Amino acid sequence: MPLPAKAFQLWLHQVAPSASTADICRISGIKRTTLAQQLVRGKVAESTLVSISRALDLSPLAALASFDQYGELATRQQPPSAAELVSQIATMDLLRAVISRSSPAYGGYGDNGSSMTPDLTPAPHATSVRNWVDAIDDGELRHRVSAATGVAPQNYSAQLTANRLSPELAVATARAAGVGFTGGLVATGLITEEEAGWPPGAKQTALDALSDGELTALAGERLQALGKSLRRQEQEQAQTEKIWENLG
Amino acid sequence: MIATLQWGTLIICSVALLLRVPDAVQGRNRMVFGILVLATLCSLLSVPGPYEAIDAALGGWNLTHLVLRILVFAAVLLVGLRIARGLADQRGYRLIAGPAGRWALALSCAAVAGAFALMDTRGSSVGLLGIADNGGHNAVLAPFYAAAGRTYPAFVSLALLPALLATARSQLPRLVRAGAVLTSLGAVAAVLGLPASFAPDSWIPAQVTVNNLAVLGYVLGLCLFWVSGLVANKSGNARATFRKNKG
Repeated sequence: MPLPAKAFQLWLHQVAPSASTADICRISGIKRTTLAQQLVRGKVAESTLVSISRALDLSPLAALASFDQYGELATRQQPPSAAELVSQIATMDLLRAVISRSSPAYGGYGDNGSSMTPDLTPAPHATSVRNWVDAIDDGELRHRVSAATGVAPQNYSAQLTANRLSPELAVATARAAGVGFTGGLVATGLITEEEAGWPPGAKQTALDALSDGELTALAGERLQALGKSLRRQEQEQAQTEKIWENLG
Repeated sequence: MIATLQWGTLIICSVALLLRVPDAVQGRNRMVFGILVLATLCSLLSVPGPYEAIDAALGGWNLTHLVLRILVFAAVLLVGLRIARGLADQRGYRLIAGPAGRWALALSCAAVAGAFALMDTRGSSVGLLGIADNGGHNAVLAPFYAAAGRTYPAFVSLALLPALLATARSQLPRLVRAGAVLTSLGAVAAVLGLPASFAPDSWIPAQVTVNNLAVLGYVLGLCLFWVSGLVANKSGNARATFRKNKG
């Protein structure tokens, strides 16, 4: 459920009492028609709130937490677990780490910061949502989320496959798994790691803590999943193009 | 109601045809354009006014209706081959292009022509609805003539249906799947048209509806396939923007 427009306008009035809607849109880069439409419908997207808080130099997380349905964000602040951090490392960064550990380009073991092993790319990555859920899943997580929110398991899976998760579901997932609330919001790209309060080198530290075996197995799993999804995409693309070629 | 449906079908076919003119001029998929030309001609000949005008020019003994049946066969053959190839449906393609399809087409043509020859077809009448009153074998033969004309479209539609339904349930872009759904609706209507030929006279509105639905389903399905190619699909999380004039 997006934010109620009434509460949103109240919040906007508190944080920027003198700014007009046009000002807000200009500094936050939101289209005026988009915001007007969300206000008319009575539902303001969380991403709108985050954009505006960024523009006003406010913490997006605190802004979200000031709304009733995200109140938990402020009450239980739990740092991300190591598994969650690793899940937010892009597959290519993991592969680079494998290579750098086994045959460093230069600079020796680890070889951090050289041109061959650049810094980890910031979250979210191409499969960050599914990887995050997999990292916190004890096997029953999807059932618990679907029971708690009423979202059908196949719809939930479809969102994960599309690397998408509504902020509300991301928070519900974190609650069902008993982990910190920021993981899902970072994995879906709503807020950055910095905005979530993750320490700057946290992902790198979690990566360095993996043993060679763990890292290689994890990279292998990711690579296999990537290969599968690429093959499916290629097949579907070929099918679609055949349809367009003959019927389009 | 029947007139609205017939004119509506004609208008939709014409609009679809006009939309495809630029592509056809550029030489892109002229086959689909040809199919739409045939479909538009067929729906034109199903409307009383144009039918009577053309039939008068051809001598007034309903030869136009026989021509219409042949045009329908041609359109169905082309659309069947095209869809089977587009959906990479080997089985369907073999059924339509192979011996089974050729026999079905030949027998349908022979049956239509034979039934037509045995009937007393004087007096222009759209859909041959009025000629049963001419006496003789007409009342008995008319349903068989109609059924013969629906056999081949029903055969091709049955051959296409599995692949169409599979596409409708696949993970392909939504518009492509919607196109497959519409086309399969047309195919189902074309199949239902065969038993509907033997329905009593009071069912004529239902028969006309089914036949027009078949044309509409195929034509609109083709249009959606085309539109889906024009629209690229995009999805993703609603990304928040960053402050523009920072610093």
